[in-house]
Amino acid sequence: MLDRLARGIEALLFASERPLSLQDLCDLTGSGPESAATALEAVRSSLEEQGHSILLVELAGGWRLVTDPDLGDLVSQLFEERRPGRLSRAAIETLAVIAYNQPCTKAAVEAIRGVDCDSAIRSLLERDLVRICGRQETPGRPLTYATTGQFLSYFGLSDIEHLPRKREIDELLSSGPVPEQPGDLFEQSG
Amino acid sequence: MSGEACRVSLEQFEGPLDLLLYLIRREELDIREISLAVVADQYLAYVRRAEELDLEVASEYLVMAATLTSIKSRALLPGREGEEEEGDSAEALLRQLVLYRAFREAAEDLRENESVWRNAFPAPGERERWAPGQGIPVPQGQFTIVDLLEALESLVEQEGEPALGTLERPRLTIAQCIAAIAESLPPGRRVALKAIVGPAATRLRLIGFFVALLELVRRGWVEFRQTVPFGDITFRRTARWAERCSTDSQEA
Repeated sequence: MLDRLARGIEALLFASERPLSLQDLCDLTGSGPESAATALEAVRSSLEEQGHSILLVELAGGWRLVTDPDLGDLVSQLFEERRPGRLSRAAIETLAVIAYNQPCTKAAVEAIRGVDCDSAIRSLLERDLVRICGRQETPGRPLTYATTGQFLSYFGLSDIEHLPRKREIDELLSSGPVPEQPGDLFEQSG
Repeated sequence: MSGEACRVSLEQFEGPLDLLLYLIRREELDIREISLAVVADQYLAYVRRAEELDLEVASEYLVMAATLTSIKSRALLPGREGEEEEGDSAEALLRQLVLYRAFREAAEDLRENESVWRNAFPAPGERERWAPGQGIPVPQGQFTIVDLLEALESLVEQEGEPALGTLERPRLTIAQCIAAIAESLPPGRRVALKAIVGPAATRLRLIGFFVALLELVRRGWVEFRQTVPFGDITFRRTARWAERCSTDSQEA
Protein backbone atom coordinates (compact mmCIF):
# COMPACT_ATOMS: atom_id res chain seq x y z
CA MET A 1 0.00 0.00 0.00
CA LEU A 2 1.37 3.37 -1.01
CA ASP A 3 1.52 6.10 1.56
CA ARG A 4 -0.54 9.25 1.32
CA LEU A 5 2.10 11.31 -0.51
CA ALA A 6 2.82 8.55 -3.04
CA ARG A 7 -0.89 8.13 -3.73
CA GLY A 8 -1.24 11.85 -4.21
CA ILE A 9 1.66 11.95 -6.63
CA GLU A 10 0.29 9.00 -8.54
CA ALA A 11 -3.06 10.76 -8.87
CA LEU A 12 -1.44 13.99 -10.05
CA LEU A 13 0.59 12.16 -12.67
CA PHE A 14 -2.44 10.25 -13.85
CA ALA A 15 -4.52 13.37 -14.32
CA SER A 16 -1.87 15.74 -15.61
CA GLU A 17 -1.80 16.54 -19.27
CA ARG A 18 1.89 17.39 -19.20
CA PRO A 19 4.92 15.86 -17.55
CA LEU A 20 5.30 17.03 -13.95
CA SER A 21 8.77 17.89 -12.72
CA LEU A 22 9.94 17.09 -9.23
CA GLN A 23 9.54 20.79 -8.48
CA ASP A 24 5.92 20.71 -9.74
CA LEU A 25 5.20 17.76 -7.49
CA CYS A 26 6.76 19.48 -4.49
CA ASP A 27 4.73 22.63 -5.16
CA LEU A 28 1.50 20.71 -5.59
CA THR A 29 1.89 18.42 -2.60
CA GLY A 30 3.72 20.83 -0.34
CA SER A 31 6.40 18.27 0.34
CA GLY A 32 10.17 18.53 0.13
CA PRO A 33 12.13 17.25 -2.86
CA GLU A 34 13.54 14.29 -0.99
CA SER A 35 10.23 12.91 0.19
CA ALA A 36 8.70 13.58 -3.24
CA ALA A 37 11.55 11.65 -4.88
CA THR A 38 11.06 8.78 -2.43
CA ALA A 39 7.34 8.77 -3.15
CA LEU A 40 7.99 8.78 -6.91
CA GLU A 41 10.24 5.77 -6.51
CA ALA A 42 7.56 4.04 -4.43
CA VAL A 43 5.01 4.62 -7.20
CA ARG A 44 7.43 3.42 -9.86
CA SER A 45 8.44 0.24 -8.07
CA SER A 46 4.91 -0.63 -6.98
CA LEU A 47 3.72 -0.42 -10.60
CA GLU A 48 6.65 -2.54 -11.67
CA GLU A 49 6.43 -5.14 -8.92
CA GLN A 50 2.74 -5.69 -9.38
CA GLY A 51 3.26 -6.13 -13.11
CA HIS A 52 1.07 -3.22 -14.12
CA SER A 53 0.92 -2.18 -17.75
CA ILE A 54 1.45 1.43 -16.69
CA LEU A 55 4.99 2.71 -16.31
CA LEU A 56 6.32 5.75 -14.53
CA VAL A 57 8.91 7.36 -16.78
CA GLU A 58 10.91 10.57 -16.92
CA LEU A 59 10.02 12.36 -20.14
CA ALA A 60 10.55 15.87 -21.42
CA GLY A 61 11.72 17.28 -18.14
CA GLY A 62 9.17 15.65 -15.91
CA TRP A 63 7.49 12.47 -14.75
CA ARG A 64 4.71 10.82 -16.60
CA LEU A 65 2.55 7.72 -16.49
CA VAL A 66 2.49 5.93 -19.81
CA THR A 67 1.29 2.59 -21.08
CA ASP A 68 3.93 -0.06 -21.60
CA PRO A 69 5.31 0.29 -25.17
CA ASP A 70 5.05 -3.49 -25.48
CA LEU A 71 1.31 -3.08 -25.57
CA GLY A 72 1.52 -0.45 -28.30
CA ASP A 73 -0.22 -2.56 -30.94
CA LEU A 74 -3.14 -3.14 -28.64
CA VAL A 75 -3.54 0.41 -27.38
CA SER A 76 -2.91 2.13 -30.70
CA GLN A 77 -6.11 0.59 -32.02
CA LEU A 78 -7.90 3.27 -30.05
CA PHE A 79 -6.22 5.98 -32.08
CA GLU A 80 -6.16 4.44 -35.49
CA GLU A 81 -6.44 6.92 -38.33
CA ARG A 82 -5.71 9.86 -36.13
CA ARG A 83 -2.29 8.89 -34.92
CA PRO A 84 0.44 10.53 -36.99
CA GLY A 85 2.61 8.15 -38.95
CA ARG A 86 6.29 7.56 -38.40
CA LEU A 87 8.59 10.32 -39.48
CA SER A 88 10.07 10.18 -42.96
CA ARG A 89 13.77 9.66 -43.26
CA ALA A 90 14.26 13.25 -44.40
CA ALA A 91 12.28 14.49 -41.42
CA ILE A 92 14.10 12.43 -38.84
CA GLU A 93 17.54 13.36 -40.23
CA THR A 94 16.58 17.01 -40.26
CA LEU A 95 15.28 16.69 -36.74
CA ALA A 96 18.54 15.09 -35.61
CA VAL A 97 20.57 17.96 -37.05
CA ILE A 98 18.34 20.55 -35.38
CA ALA A 99 18.35 18.70 -32.07
CA TYR A 100 22.15 18.64 -31.75
CA ASN A 101 22.71 22.11 -33.18
CA GLN A 102 19.87 24.09 -31.75
CA PRO A 103 19.11 26.85 -32.22
CA CYS A 104 19.99 26.42 -35.84
CA THR A 105 19.02 27.81 -39.22
CA LYS A 106 17.67 25.99 -42.22
CA ALA A 107 20.91 26.78 -44.07
CA ALA A 108 22.90 25.02 -41.34
CA VAL A 109 20.72 21.93 -41.63
CA GLU A 110 21.13 21.94 -45.37
CA ALA A 111 24.90 22.36 -45.07
CA ILE A 112 25.03 19.12 -43.13
CA ARG A 113 22.48 17.12 -45.09
CA GLY A 114 23.49 18.47 -48.48
CA VAL A 115 19.89 18.73 -49.67
CA ASP A 116 16.99 21.11 -49.46
CA CYS A 117 15.20 20.71 -46.13
CA ASP A 118 12.24 23.00 -46.63
CA SER A 119 9.49 20.44 -46.63
CA ALA A 120 11.11 18.40 -43.87
CA ILE A 121 11.23 21.43 -41.58
CA ARG A 122 7.68 22.30 -42.44
CA SER A 123 6.40 18.87 -41.52
CA LEU A 124 8.36 18.96 -38.26
CA LEU A 125 6.81 22.33 -37.43
CA GLU A 126 3.37 20.97 -38.17
CA ARG A 127 3.95 18.03 -35.87
CA ASP A 128 5.18 20.35 -33.15
CA LEU A 129 8.52 18.57 -32.98
CA VAL A 130 10.45 21.75 -33.73
CA ARG A 131 9.56 25.36 -33.22
CA ILE A 132 10.80 28.66 -34.54
CA CYS A 133 12.79 30.13 -31.71
CA GLY A 134 14.11 33.36 -33.18
CA ARG A 135 16.27 34.88 -35.83
CA GLN A 136 19.99 34.76 -36.32
CA GLU A 137 21.57 38.19 -36.42
CA THR A 138 23.34 37.56 -39.69
CA PRO A 139 22.53 38.94 -43.13
CA GLY A 140 18.97 38.08 -44.05
CA ARG A 141 18.16 37.42 -40.38
CA PRO A 142 17.25 33.78 -41.01
CA LEU A 143 14.82 32.01 -38.68
CA THR A 144 16.30 29.63 -36.16
CA TYR A 145 14.73 26.37 -35.06
CA ALA A 146 14.83 24.38 -31.84
CA THR A 147 13.18 21.22 -30.62
CA THR A 148 10.07 21.18 -28.43
CA GLY A 149 8.92 19.31 -25.36
CA GLN A 150 6.87 17.20 -27.72
CA PHE A 151 10.13 16.17 -29.37
CA LEU A 152 11.46 14.83 -26.06
CA SER A 153 8.21 12.98 -25.33
CA TYR A 154 8.05 11.56 -28.82
CA PHE A 155 11.49 10.01 -28.51
CA GLY A 156 11.22 9.11 -24.84
CA LEU A 157 13.97 11.50 -23.76
CA SER A 158 14.07 13.12 -20.35
CA ASP A 159 16.03 16.11 -21.63
CA ILE A 160 18.22 17.27 -24.48
CA GLU A 161 21.39 16.04 -22.76
CA HIS A 162 20.14 12.49 -23.17
CA LEU A 163 20.16 12.57 -26.97
CA PRO A 164 21.82 9.46 -28.39
CA ARG A 165 25.49 9.94 -29.32
CA LYS A 166 25.38 13.36 -27.73
CA ARG A 167 29.03 13.51 -26.73
CA GLU A 168 30.31 12.03 -29.98
CA ILE A 169 28.44 14.57 -32.07
CA ASP A 170 29.30 17.49 -29.81
CA GLU A 171 32.96 16.63 -30.27
CA LEU A 172 32.57 16.42 -34.01
CA LEU A 173 30.79 19.74 -34.14
CA SER A 174 33.33 21.46 -31.92
CA SER A 175 36.27 20.16 -33.98
CA GLY A 176 35.49 22.68 -36.70
CA PRO A 177 32.83 24.71 -38.37
CA VAL A 178 30.07 23.12 -40.35
CA PRO A 179 31.33 23.21 -43.94
CA GLU A 180 29.72 25.78 -46.15
CA GLN A 181 27.59 24.26 -48.81
CA PRO A 182 27.80 26.08 -52.12
CA GLY A 183 24.45 27.79 -52.41
CA ASP A 184 21.92 26.61 -54.91
CA LEU A 185 21.57 29.45 -57.36
CA PHE A 186 18.04 28.51 -58.18
CA GLU A 187 16.88 28.15 -54.65
CA GLN A 188 13.79 30.13 -53.97
CA SER A 189 14.16 32.62 -51.25
CA GLY A 190 11.95 32.33 -48.23
CA MET B 1 30.29 -2.13 -62.75
CA SER B 2 27.92 0.57 -63.84
CA GLY B 3 25.11 -1.89 -64.48
CA GLU B 4 25.18 -3.10 -60.93
CA ALA B 5 25.82 0.32 -59.56
CA CYS B 6 22.75 1.70 -61.19
CA ARG B 7 20.32 -0.94 -60.24
CA VAL B 8 19.18 1.30 -57.47
CA SER B 9 17.73 4.66 -58.35
CA LEU B 10 18.57 8.05 -56.95
CA GLU B 11 15.17 8.35 -55.36
CA GLN B 12 16.05 6.13 -52.47
CA PHE B 13 18.83 8.44 -51.37
CA GLU B 14 18.49 11.46 -49.18
CA GLY B 15 20.73 13.51 -51.40
CA PRO B 16 24.27 13.32 -52.77
CA LEU B 17 25.93 12.80 -49.38
CA ASP B 18 23.72 9.82 -48.68
CA LEU B 19 24.57 8.32 -52.06
CA LEU B 20 28.28 8.91 -51.54
CA LEU B 21 28.21 7.27 -48.13
CA TYR B 22 26.36 4.34 -49.59
CA LEU B 23 28.97 3.88 -52.31
CA ILE B 24 31.88 4.24 -49.90
CA ARG B 25 30.37 1.72 -47.52
CA ARG B 26 29.59 -0.67 -50.34
CA GLU B 27 33.23 -0.58 -51.39
CA GLU B 28 34.20 -1.09 -47.75
CA LEU B 29 36.30 2.05 -47.78
CA ASP B 30 37.01 4.62 -45.11
CA ILE B 31 36.01 8.20 -45.51
CA ARG B 32 39.24 9.43 -47.07
CA GLU B 33 40.19 11.48 -50.05
CA ILE B 34 41.35 8.46 -52.01
CA SER B 35 37.97 6.82 -51.45
CA LEU B 36 36.25 9.76 -53.08
CA ALA B 37 38.35 9.28 -56.21
CA VAL B 38 37.49 5.56 -56.19
CA VAL B 39 33.73 5.99 -56.00
CA ALA B 40 33.55 9.10 -58.20
CA ASP B 41 32.88 7.05 -61.35
CA GLN B 42 30.12 5.09 -59.68
CA TYR B 43 28.56 8.27 -58.44
CA LEU B 44 28.66 9.76 -61.93
CA ALA B 45 27.13 6.57 -63.32
CA TYR B 46 24.16 6.99 -60.99
CA VAL B 47 23.59 10.56 -62.02
CA ARG B 48 24.00 9.78 -65.72
CA ARG B 49 21.63 6.86 -65.44
CA ALA B 50 19.02 9.02 -63.77
CA GLU B 51 19.40 11.57 -66.54
CA GLU B 52 19.07 8.87 -69.20
CA LEU B 53 15.84 7.80 -67.58
CA ASP B 54 14.72 11.38 -67.97
CA LEU B 55 14.40 11.81 -64.26
CA GLU B 56 14.90 15.20 -62.89
CA VAL B 57 18.24 15.20 -61.13
CA ALA B 58 18.32 17.61 -58.23
CA SER B 59 20.95 20.31 -58.66
CA GLU B 60 22.71 19.16 -55.48
CA TYR B 61 23.61 15.91 -57.23
CA LEU B 62 25.11 17.81 -60.13
CA VAL B 63 27.13 20.12 -57.89
CA MET B 64 28.51 17.06 -56.12
CA ALA B 65 29.28 15.41 -59.47
CA ALA B 66 31.38 18.44 -60.42
CA THR B 67 33.19 18.39 -57.08
CA LEU B 68 33.95 14.69 -57.38
CA THR B 69 35.17 15.06 -60.95
CA SER B 70 37.56 17.75 -59.87
CA ILE B 71 38.78 15.70 -56.91
CA LYS B 72 39.33 12.71 -59.13
CA SER B 73 41.18 14.65 -61.78
CA ARG B 74 43.46 16.02 -59.12
CA ALA B 75 44.16 12.50 -57.88
CA LEU B 76 45.18 11.54 -61.42
CA LEU B 77 47.28 14.62 -62.07
CA PRO B 78 49.15 15.41 -58.88
CA GLY B 79 51.08 18.60 -58.38
CA ARG B 80 48.95 20.85 -60.53
CA GLU B 81 48.51 24.51 -59.82
CA GLY B 82 45.58 25.47 -57.68
CA GLU B 83 46.06 22.20 -55.86
CA GLU B 84 45.54 23.74 -52.49
CA GLU B 85 42.15 25.08 -53.31
CA GLU B 86 40.94 21.75 -54.58
CA GLY B 87 42.49 20.00 -51.64
CA ASP B 88 40.33 22.21 -49.49
CA SER B 89 37.23 21.22 -51.38
CA ALA B 90 38.05 17.54 -50.82
CA GLU B 91 38.70 18.22 -47.17
CA ALA B 92 35.46 20.11 -46.78
CA LEU B 93 33.59 17.31 -48.47
CA LEU B 94 35.19 14.70 -46.23
CA ARG B 95 34.26 16.65 -43.16
CA GLN B 96 30.77 17.03 -44.47
CA LEU B 97 30.57 13.29 -45.02
CA VAL B 98 31.79 12.52 -41.52
CA LEU B 99 29.29 14.94 -40.02
CA TYR B 100 26.44 13.72 -42.14
CA ARG B 101 27.23 10.13 -41.26
CA ALA B 102 27.19 10.98 -37.55
CA PHE B 103 23.80 12.64 -37.88
CA ARG B 104 22.47 9.83 -39.98
CA GLU B 105 23.45 7.39 -37.27
CA ALA B 106 21.92 9.63 -34.63
CA ALA B 107 18.77 9.70 -36.74
CA GLU B 108 18.79 5.91 -36.79
CA ASP B 109 19.04 5.87 -33.00
CA LEU B 110 16.17 8.31 -32.78
CA ARG B 111 14.24 6.05 -35.11
CA GLU B 112 14.65 3.24 -32.58
CA ASN B 113 13.42 5.52 -29.82
CA GLU B 114 10.49 6.43 -32.03
CA SER B 115 9.56 2.77 -32.50
CA VAL B 116 9.43 2.25 -28.76
CA TRP B 117 7.97 5.49 -27.53
CA ARG B 118 5.33 6.14 -30.09
CA ASN B 119 3.82 3.03 -28.60
CA ALA B 120 3.78 4.44 -25.08
CA PHE B 121 0.55 6.29 -24.47
CA PRO B 122 0.60 8.90 -21.76
CA ALA B 123 -2.32 9.62 -19.50
CA PRO B 124 -4.32 11.50 -20.48
CA GLY B 125 -3.73 14.82 -22.22
CA GLU B 126 -1.25 14.19 -24.92
CA ARG B 127 -3.32 11.94 -27.08
CA GLU B 128 -5.92 14.66 -27.44
CA ARG B 129 -3.44 16.05 -29.90
CA TRP B 130 -4.72 13.49 -32.27
CA ALA B 131 -8.37 14.27 -31.86
CA PRO B 132 -9.88 14.43 -35.31
CA GLY B 133 -10.30 17.83 -36.85
CA GLN B 134 -8.16 19.48 -34.28
CA GLY B 135 -5.49 21.80 -35.54
CA ILE B 136 -1.93 21.94 -34.43
CA PRO B 137 -1.84 22.28 -30.66
CA VAL B 138 0.00 25.39 -29.61
CA PRO B 139 0.79 25.99 -25.97
CA GLN B 140 -0.41 29.32 -24.75
CA GLY B 141 1.86 32.19 -25.60
CA GLN B 142 3.69 30.15 -28.18
CA PHE B 143 2.15 31.29 -31.39
CA THR B 144 4.68 31.30 -34.15
CA ILE B 145 5.03 32.40 -37.70
CA VAL B 146 3.66 29.06 -38.80
CA ASP B 147 0.38 29.80 -37.06
CA LEU B 148 0.18 33.06 -38.94
CA LEU B 149 0.96 31.35 -42.21
CA GLU B 150 -1.70 28.77 -41.57
CA ALA B 151 -4.22 31.37 -40.63
CA LEU B 152 -3.40 33.15 -43.84
CA GLU B 153 -3.69 29.94 -45.80
CA SER B 154 -7.09 29.20 -44.36
CA LEU B 155 -8.19 32.69 -45.34
CA VAL B 156 -6.98 32.15 -48.86
CA GLU B 157 -8.91 28.89 -48.96
CA GLN B 158 -12.05 30.61 -47.82
CA GLU B 159 -11.66 33.19 -50.51
CA GLY B 160 -12.31 30.45 -53.04
CA GLU B 161 -15.97 30.50 -52.03
CA PRO B 162 -17.77 33.67 -52.91
CA ALA B 163 -19.12 35.65 -50.00
CA LEU B 164 -22.85 35.20 -49.64
CA GLY B 165 -23.75 38.73 -48.58
CA THR B 166 -25.96 40.83 -50.85
CA LEU B 167 -24.61 44.00 -52.33
CA GLU B 168 -27.29 46.64 -52.79
CA ARG B 169 -27.00 48.18 -56.19
CA PRO B 170 -28.74 51.50 -56.58
CA ARG B 171 -31.64 50.83 -58.91
CA LEU B 172 -33.13 53.36 -61.24
CA THR B 173 -35.88 52.13 -63.56
CA ILE B 174 -36.92 53.80 -66.76
CA ALA B 175 -40.38 54.27 -65.26
CA GLN B 176 -38.83 56.19 -62.37
CA CYS B 177 -36.97 58.36 -64.87
CA ILE B 178 -40.10 59.07 -66.85
CA ALA B 179 -41.94 60.02 -63.69
CA ALA B 180 -39.11 62.41 -62.84
CA ILE B 181 -39.12 63.79 -66.36
CA ALA B 182 -42.83 64.51 -66.07
CA GLU B 183 -41.94 66.88 -63.27
CA SER B 184 -38.78 68.43 -64.64
CA LEU B 185 -40.20 68.88 -68.14
CA PRO B 186 -43.37 70.87 -67.67
CA PRO B 187 -45.67 71.37 -70.67
CA GLY B 188 -44.66 74.13 -73.08
CA ARG B 189 -41.10 74.59 -71.83
CA ARG B 190 -37.87 73.59 -73.49
CA VAL B 191 -35.45 72.06 -70.98
CA ALA B 192 -31.83 70.96 -71.44
CA LEU B 193 -30.82 67.35 -70.72
CA LYS B 194 -28.48 68.56 -68.00
CA ALA B 195 -31.34 70.26 -66.21
CA ILE B 196 -33.54 67.17 -66.48
CA VAL B 197 -30.88 64.86 -65.09
CA GLY B 198 -30.23 67.28 -62.28
CA PRO B 199 -27.09 68.33 -60.46
CA ALA B 200 -26.28 64.87 -59.03
CA ALA B 201 -25.61 63.37 -62.45
CA THR B 202 -24.11 59.99 -61.77
CA ARG B 203 -23.39 57.82 -64.75
CA LEU B 204 -26.38 55.70 -63.80
CA ARG B 205 -28.71 58.69 -63.71
CA LEU B 206 -27.37 60.08 -66.95
CA ILE B 207 -27.91 56.78 -68.78
CA GLY B 208 -31.29 56.21 -67.17
CA PHE B 209 -32.66 59.59 -68.12
CA PHE B 210 -31.14 59.46 -71.58
CA VAL B 211 -32.73 56.06 -72.28
CA ALA B 212 -36.02 57.30 -70.84
CA LEU B 213 -35.93 60.36 -73.08
CA LEU B 214 -35.07 58.21 -76.10
CA GLU B 215 -38.11 56.10 -75.28
CA LEU B 216 -40.29 59.19 -75.02
CA VAL B 217 -38.90 60.48 -78.32
CA ARG B 218 -39.62 57.09 -79.93
CA ARG B 219 -43.19 57.25 -78.74
CA GLY B 220 -43.42 60.81 -79.99
CA TRP B 221 -44.27 62.30 -76.60
CA VAL B 222 -41.16 64.45 -76.56
CA GLU B 223 -39.21 66.23 -79.26
CA PHE B 224 -35.60 67.23 -79.02
CA ARG B 225 -33.16 69.63 -80.56
CA GLN B 226 -29.39 69.83 -80.72
CA THR B 227 -28.17 72.93 -82.51
CA VAL B 228 -24.48 72.04 -82.85
CA PRO B 229 -22.65 68.70 -82.58
CA PHE B 230 -21.87 67.94 -78.92
CA GLY B 231 -23.97 70.93 -77.94
CA ASP B 232 -26.68 70.89 -75.34
CA ILE B 233 -29.66 68.72 -76.15
CA THR B 234 -32.97 70.29 -75.24
CA PHE B 235 -36.36 68.59 -74.93
CA ARG B 236 -39.97 69.69 -75.10
CA ARG B 237 -43.25 67.87 -74.63
CA THR B 238 -45.32 67.31 -77.72
CA ALA B 239 -49.08 67.48 -77.90
CA ARG B 240 -49.08 63.70 -77.92
CA TRP B 241 -47.92 63.54 -74.28
CA ALA B 242 -51.04 65.33 -73.12
CA GLU B 243 -53.30 63.15 -75.31
CA ARG B 244 -51.61 60.03 -74.11
CA CYS B 245 -51.87 61.00 -70.50
CA SER B 246 -55.50 61.85 -70.78
CA THR B 247 -56.30 58.51 -72.43
CA ASP B 248 -54.21 56.78 -69.73
CA SER B 249 -56.17 58.45 -67.00
CA GLN B 250 -59.41 57.62 -68.80
CA GLU B 251 -58.37 53.97 -69.00
CA ALA B 252 -57.45 54.05 -65.38
